[in-house]
Amino acid sequence: MTSAGAIAWRRAGAMAPASLLVLAFLALPMLLMLRYSFNSFVPGKFMVEALTLENYVKLATDPYYRHVLVLTLGVSVCVTLLTLIVGWPVAQFLARTQSRHKGLMLLAVVLPLFMGNAVRAAGWMVAFGREGLVNRLLEAVGLIEAPLQIMFTPTAVIIGIVSVNLSYVVLTLSSVIEGIDRRAEEAALSLGATPFETWRLVTLPLALPGLLAAGVLSFILSMNAYATPVLLGGPSFQMMAPVVADQVLQRANWPFGASLGFVLMLVTLGLTAGANWLVGRRYGR
Amino acid sequence: MTESITRRRFVQGVGAGAAIAGLAPAGGLIGTAQAAGGPVVVGTWGGDYQNLMDQYINQPIIKPTGYEIVFDTGQDTARKTKLLAEHPLPRGSMDVVALTRAGGYEMWKNDTLLELDPKKMPNYSHVLDKLRTPYSIPHIYTGRVILYNPKYVKDKPTSYNDLWNPAYAGKVGVIDIQYGTTIESAAMIAGGSMSNYEPGKAKLLELKKAGVKIYPTNEAMAAALKTEEVWMCIMWKARGVMWQNAGIPIEIANPKEGIVLYISDQVIAKNAKNKDGAYAWLNGLLDPAAQIQFAQNMGYNPTVDNAPIPADLKARIEFPPEVTYLNQDQDYLAKNDGALKDWWDKEFKA
Repeated sequence: MTSAGAIAWRRAGAMAPASLLVLAFLALPMLLMLRYSFNSFVPGKFMVEALTLENYVKLATDPYYRHVLVLTLGVSVCVTLLTLIVGWPVAQFLARTQSRHKGLMLLAVVLPLFMGNAVRAAGWMVAFGREGLVNRLLEAVGLIEAPLQIMFTPTAVIIGIVSVNLSYVVLTLSSVIEGIDRRAEEAALSLGATPFETWRLVTLPLALPGLLAAGVLSFILSMNAYATPVLLGGPSFQMMAPVVADQVLQRANWPFGASLGFVLMLVTLGLTAGANWLVGRRYGR
Repeated sequence: MTESITRRRFVQGVGAGAAIAGLAPAGGLIGTAQAAGGPVVVGTWGGDYQNLMDQYINQPIIKPTGYEIVFDTGQDTARKTKLLAEHPLPRGSMDVVALTRAGGYEMWKNDTLLELDPKKMPNYSHVLDKLRTPYSIPHIYTGRVILYNPKYVKDKPTSYNDLWNPAYAGKVGVIDIQYGTTIESAAMIAGGSMSNYEPGKAKLLELKKAGVKIYPTNEAMAAALKTEEVWMCIMWKARGVMWQNAGIPIEIANPKEGIVLYISDQVIAKNAKNKDGAYAWLNGLLDPAAQIQFAQNMGYNPTVDNAPIPADLKARIEFPPEVTYLNQDQDYLAKNDGALKDWWDKEFKA
């Protein structure tokens, strides 16, 4: 009989190739960037080797970067809530439908993922422009007289990121809802619960792990959004990922770009872990 | 004590990584000198600029000589970083590098560029005196002007001050990536100079108060002018000519403060692998027939005195003889660009 130790070793062996790949292509470059974040930047000199905290001090003390971080957090929370609210009914419908077109419906949800974020944002730019589809429609039905400024507003960015994240959220939620035993809901209904009570007291708690996973996914994607805020938010709307890119690509300031990137990653990880812990404690997961 | 620049280790690391990953071409890019002919790597902007260089310089002029031009397309900041990072290596990854005049100066000061030998470029004798440097060939040039929509701006602007006219409040646009030239233009009418942009900041904040619109790119500005969302902006004349060709309803006005030159340079990296090929390429850039093509297709002025352009085009892209040409103070820009960008992001755009 195979001992438990041997099984553990075999499992470790099976995981080794993937783990080594992750280590080589994800962890090591990140460690290199962490090291860069302690270097100094002298304009025109690329990078001067040092061991200084000046980049992190600048980040913590400069209100501009704090504002960028807070704005990114605010947008990400809004986007996450919106995707969950909008995505849930779609996911529940997909999970419960008996239609023979279910496959096609799922394909329709996945279809937006076939094109890149930048292409999708370009589509929104056409729709949101002063002469764009949205303004034309609103004018045609007499809701507005002069074109609305939609491009380069937080609304445009939030709509853009929601449209990107919705597919992920719907797919995650529907697979979880599909796994919930319908008999539990039917039992609640037969015992006199209203449909809303059934949803609140039975379906929602059972779907909570999926809801958390979908929320975390949407939150992480929003925190790191690049193309959508750049294209739809315009020059004055600054989120973290574009600011990191600006430091590295436009100013060649790798040390500060690296420190911004690390703070973004740590804040995202911290909040994700915190949410996981809170939900786990509340519902005893 | 801090040690200056970790570029050697950085690039060696990248090279080693590439080799381990099997990415280094066999016998190829890393560490081999070239004999006559062979590949010449040209780091450049993409789009029309690269296409025209390929069509009118590479194919007809360079290819028949046996050199193989390889375009390394990207933004100029990335090229500057590469030059600095590869500086300590005996052989760099680029032979020729396209840079703005300011970028070229910065790289020259960092000792990454080759001092050019004009004797190796027969076309060099025709380069306009006002555009010459010891380390670059000026490929194309234009000047900064005011673009305006004559339907709304009835009096032709004569000064950058006209953008501050209250009659046009909310109808003036500026471009995010042109932060330096925008602050510079404001400084020119606020008591500043090419070596002191500081007075321009307060002036620009007045424009912000009046409701200036900020667009991310030149293309976004073109769209705003086309839809008449804005009526006036500061722009390079060549772009203005191209936008007129595209049907955008604008006219071009020369500010009396002077015409600041925009020069697109190309330089040879000090550690270029194929210096002969690089010289052949630079000479090709100055070819009169190719220069005329850039004037016709992009609205830039030829940088040589032997490239006659048709009279109608000349009238549209050249400046009248009475204008004063101004050159940017490259030392000032190299020292202050980062701080100007910070101010732009944190104060003006906020």
